Amino acid sequence: METPSTTQDSAHPAAVDQRRSFGERLSSDLRLLPVAAGLIVLFVFFATQSDVFLTSRNLNNLLVQSTVTGIVALGLVFVLLVGEIDLSVAATSGVASVLMSKLVIDAGMPVPAAVALGTLSGVVIGAASGRWVTLMGVPSFVVTLGVGLVLNGIQLVLLPRTGRYNLLNSGVEKIAATNIAGASAWALLIIGLILFAAVRLSTLAARRRAGLTASAVQIIVLPLVIVGGLGTATLLILAQRNGLPMPLILYIGILGVTGYVTTETRFGLYLYAIGNNIEAARRSGIKVERIKITAFAITGGLSAFAGILAASRILGVSVSSGGGIGGGALLLESIAAAVIGGVSLFGGRGRVTGALFGALIIATVSNGLNLMGVANEARLIVTGLLLVIAVSVDRTIEKLAGGAQG
Amino acid sequence: MPSDAIQPILSLRGIHKSFGGVQALTDVSLDLYSGEVVALVGDNGAGKTTLIKSMAGVIRADKGQFFFEGNEVTLSGPAAASDLGIQTVYQDLALCNNLDAVQNIFLGRELTGPWWSGFRVRRADCERKAHEVLQRLRLSGISLTRNVGAMSGGQRQNIAIARSILWQPKVVLLDEPTAALSHTAAEAVGKLIRELASHGLAVLVISHDIHQFVIDVTDRIEVLRLGRKVASFASKQVTGEQVVSAMVGGNEEPAGAR
Repeated sequence: METPSTTQDSAHPAAVDQRRSFGERLSSDLRLLPVAAGLIVLFVFFATQSDVFLTSRNLNNLLVQSTVTGIVALGLVFVLLVGEIDLSVAATSGVASVLMSKLVIDAGMPVPAAVALGTLSGVVIGAASGRWVTLMGVPSFVVTLGVGLVLNGIQLVLLPRTGRYNLLNSGVEKIAATNIAGASAWALLIIGLILFAAVRLSTLAARRRAGLTASAVQIIVLPLVIVGGLGTATLLILAQRNGLPMPLILYIGILGVTGYVTTETRFGLYLYAIGNNIEAARRSGIKVERIKITAFAITGGLSAFAGILAASRILGVSVSSGGGIGGGALLLESIAAAVIGGVSLFGGRGRVTGALFGALIIATVSNGLNLMGVANEARLIVTGLLLVIAVSVDRTIEKLAGGAQG
Repeated sequence: MPSDAIQPILSLRGIHKSFGGVQALTDVSLDLYSGEVVALVGDNGAGKTTLIKSMAGVIRADKGQFFFEGNEVTLSGPAAASDLGIQTVYQDLALCNNLDAVQNIFLGRELTGPWWSGFRVRRADCERKAHEVLQRLRLSGISLTRNVGAMSGGQRQNIAIARSILWQPKVVLLDEPTAALSHTAAEAVGKLIRELASHGLAVLVISHDIHQFVIDVTDRIEVLRLGRKVASFASKQVTGEQVVSAMVGGNEEPAGAR
């Protein structure tokens, strides 16, 4: 009867964790390491290939380019975590942006109200898809493929005869054109860091109260240094130009909220549980259908908001808003961003920060190759290859971790 | 062995259950006592799982009565059974491989913060409580923060059991806890089951492992054959051969200590 469990009665739980292999840690705490490394390699490569790449102006462009794909990818994380997919995200973003434009241009609605209604339309679309998937038990990729086509049709109906709403001087363009510079930008960064630190601090305090191991360095200092460092670097680079572009601020805000929801809340935990073992989740009393519908609603809402942001950036909506018929590059790139960032298509695995890195990688490749004067077809080939490499790396890590069937 | 003066926690009287034309259980009666480990053995199709499911509220018996602490109860569903204090650990364990021990133990019953925190999981409190439960069961060798998918079969079984006793049930039903385990792991699970009984729980365990597990770990052995209870033994006063013989119908004596 000599098992380790009998000899370690007084051992602290932390002592047991030391035995984790590097492969296992790579699949959990260090999950972002390969993606971050890939991003750095790309940065170094493009910096050597183009003098313009590391300029403030170009990095500003790159970051703003990544926001629309990035926000859609963040939304996709929610449905992907529960083991579903939403192929109507691009169409949702298109319809929502056209709806918002129609409300502003034709109905004269104030911009904030139109933006809110447009986003809400995405929430409703997502919830409806989710309800249908859970009610009928049909695969979500078929349902949302159909929903996407329906939405493409609705988008054409909503557009005026000219096929386009011009948003210049409508007030909508101000969302993307706003830059926060100087002291306000620093204040924003500091507020963000304080919120982040507050969450980490409460974790540390709770662990101390509960008498558990709690290293202030690991829980607060290290994360704060990394996040603060990245934030300061971004701000310093962008400050040389106009300051922080509003799309980037919104993106990071959404990233913070979705990151909190997925990693800290009960709802977030249920997303992971359902994605891994839906039967176990159901038997634990989790309202699986409700959680799934909520996940679809969040995906729809974020896609809609991303579409509105895109409309504000390009000063108008048209047939091609939301990637055009079938979703086009926006759909494919947002799924690719999530997958490159380590979000599993089979549910239960991945983080929102992964989607951020994935979107950055895609934007970097696109931007860098563009600067090198490489043609569009090469860009597609490279992005496609990156996707294949990313899932293969992901798979290898899973094997290294061993035993994780998720 | 508890004396007859002690009231059983859970009593089954005259349970019948049929599926279509197949009689799965015929007039089965059973008493479970606090602090006692009872083995439910029988060949495939003897009705073991049907009986355990009727006690867990998963299926309804056609006929018969259930008494919990002396009061007649209807086990109308799994929630009713778990509200009474009857917890079941099924063979598939129902664990999420991408979550750690703490998250699995609390799944569906997390301690959370207020609504404005978005029902933030009170991780530290959950972790402390999970640690206490594992300590109480002498399972402190199990990592709390490692994904259970990376753990051994025995550890996973132990986590599933620890999870079932989180809210202090009075009866724990275990369906084949040692089926897929190595000898050492099965021994560790056996120790854990004794530990549960020593904390005053009534434990009913289905097992095929008569010689190693059932005889060593349990106090009493109830034998089912073709849906009927055919024998009852005190584990200390019986050999594996006698039990197997009752299972396959060689020697049909309603033996037993009571």
